[in-house]
Amino acid sequence: MKQHKKALWIWLLAVLLLLIASLLVGTSGRTESVQEAMRDAVLHSVNQIGLFGLRAVNPGTISAFTVTAILLLAAACIRIFAIPRFQYVPGKLQLLLEEAVGLFDGMAKSNSPHRNRFLGLYLFSVGSYVFVGTLFELLGIQAITVHGHPVTLPAPLSDVNAAIALGTLSYLVILSGGVASNGLGGVGKTLKEFSLPISMSFRLFGALLSGLLVTELVYYFVALSFVLPVVVGVMFTLLHALIQTYVLTMLTALYYGEVSEQSHEPRKKHKKELPQAENA
Amino acid sequence: MPLNIDPQQILLHWMNLAILIGGLYLLLYKPVKQFMEKREAHYKDLDAQAAEKLAQAEQFKAQCQAKLDGADEEIRQARAKAQQTAQQAAQEQLDQAEAQAQHILAKARTEAEQSRERALRESQREMRELAAKAAKKLAAQPGADLFDRFLDLTEGGGQHEGR
Repeated sequence: MKQHKKALWIWLLAVLLLLIASLLVGTSGRTESVQEAMRDAVLHSVNQIGLFGLRAVNPGTISAFTVTAILLLAAACIRIFAIPRFQYVPGKLQLLLEEAVGLFDGMAKSNSPHRNRFLGLYLFSVGSYVFVGTLFELLGIQAITVHGHPVTLPAPLSDVNAAIALGTLSYLVILSGGVASNGLGGVGKTLKEFSLPISMSFRLFGALLSGLLVTELVYYFVALSFVLPVVVGVMFTLLHALIQTYVLTMLTALYYGEVSEQSHEPRKKHKKELPQAENA
Repeated sequence: MPLNIDPQQILLHWMNLAILIGGLYLLLYKPVKQFMEKREAHYKDLDAQAAEKLAQAEQFKAQCQAKLDGADEEIRQARAKAQQTAQQAAQEQLDQAEAQAQHILAKARTEAEQSRERALRESQREMRELAAKAAKKLAAQPGADLFDRFLDLTEGGGQHEGR
């Protein structure tokens, strides 16, 4: 009991000291207004970061490369250390990995029974990217802009270019499924959904950006930076990550299944499910 | 461009996604899926082996049942044969007993017949002796009609014998 009390007093003292220190140090003064901060969060026209000294890019692009590096590093570690020790009766990590692979593979198979090998891989990769990329903003990794200011790296998909890239790539994957299954007929089927890349891109962008803006707004005021970010930052971001991952992968799988369906076979009930996914 | 859309950065994102998809396929998706397929194949194999063993067991059971049915039939036949043999043996014993009884009966009859004849002969012999005795007595008494006295003697002698 005495040990616990001692630890509690030390913890309270540390918190108090840090609070006093943060108040005494103060801030270096705002370099931008809230309007400018919001505008830059959307457009990234000011706070750009140099990409290996080649050119200035949006912070989202740097985030995207960082997320890819994190994912590939984690995958390499898992490949080297975990996968060779896989057992027929799985442990916790193995179960998690098998669930993740099985989830997207099952989604691909259920939505596109005829052609789903690449779709499963694509959904797995994109799902991991969206999920980890959305949670990435919680890390608060700092980067230095070309103007020398520090900036927190945002979620990759809060950059409109990343959202457009992912939306159009998903559309191209759907188109490739249609072409592979039905030839020119598949192209026709896919082109019929001409609004899909725009809707996919801007849905992602809007969803991620709204989270970013709320977080940006909260962090803009120091008084709101205590306790509240736990709710706003963590819980909202977790929800965002799950919802956006589900929506993007489900929509891609549904449209892929629809356009890759053989023409002579009866149509499935994809259309009935679409509005539900669209609303999410 | 509006909204700071930059084709070059879009291409960079595509490249990034291509790297990610390829890397994840090689490092994670393919090995995990291969392992899952291997395990599925293993359990399917076990299932097939179990089904095969079950079929073998069913076949063996059918064979045993057939043998059991054959054994029942053999037992039934053996029982019928044993019953038949027992009946034959009993019949033979019965016949033997019958023959023996007939033999004993015939022998008894023969003996009875012989006894009767012997007794008849004996009685005839006694009658002859009595007759001889009576004749001797008559011959020994003078003055009487020999024939009447013989008759009286035989009648009286009979009474005397009866007393």
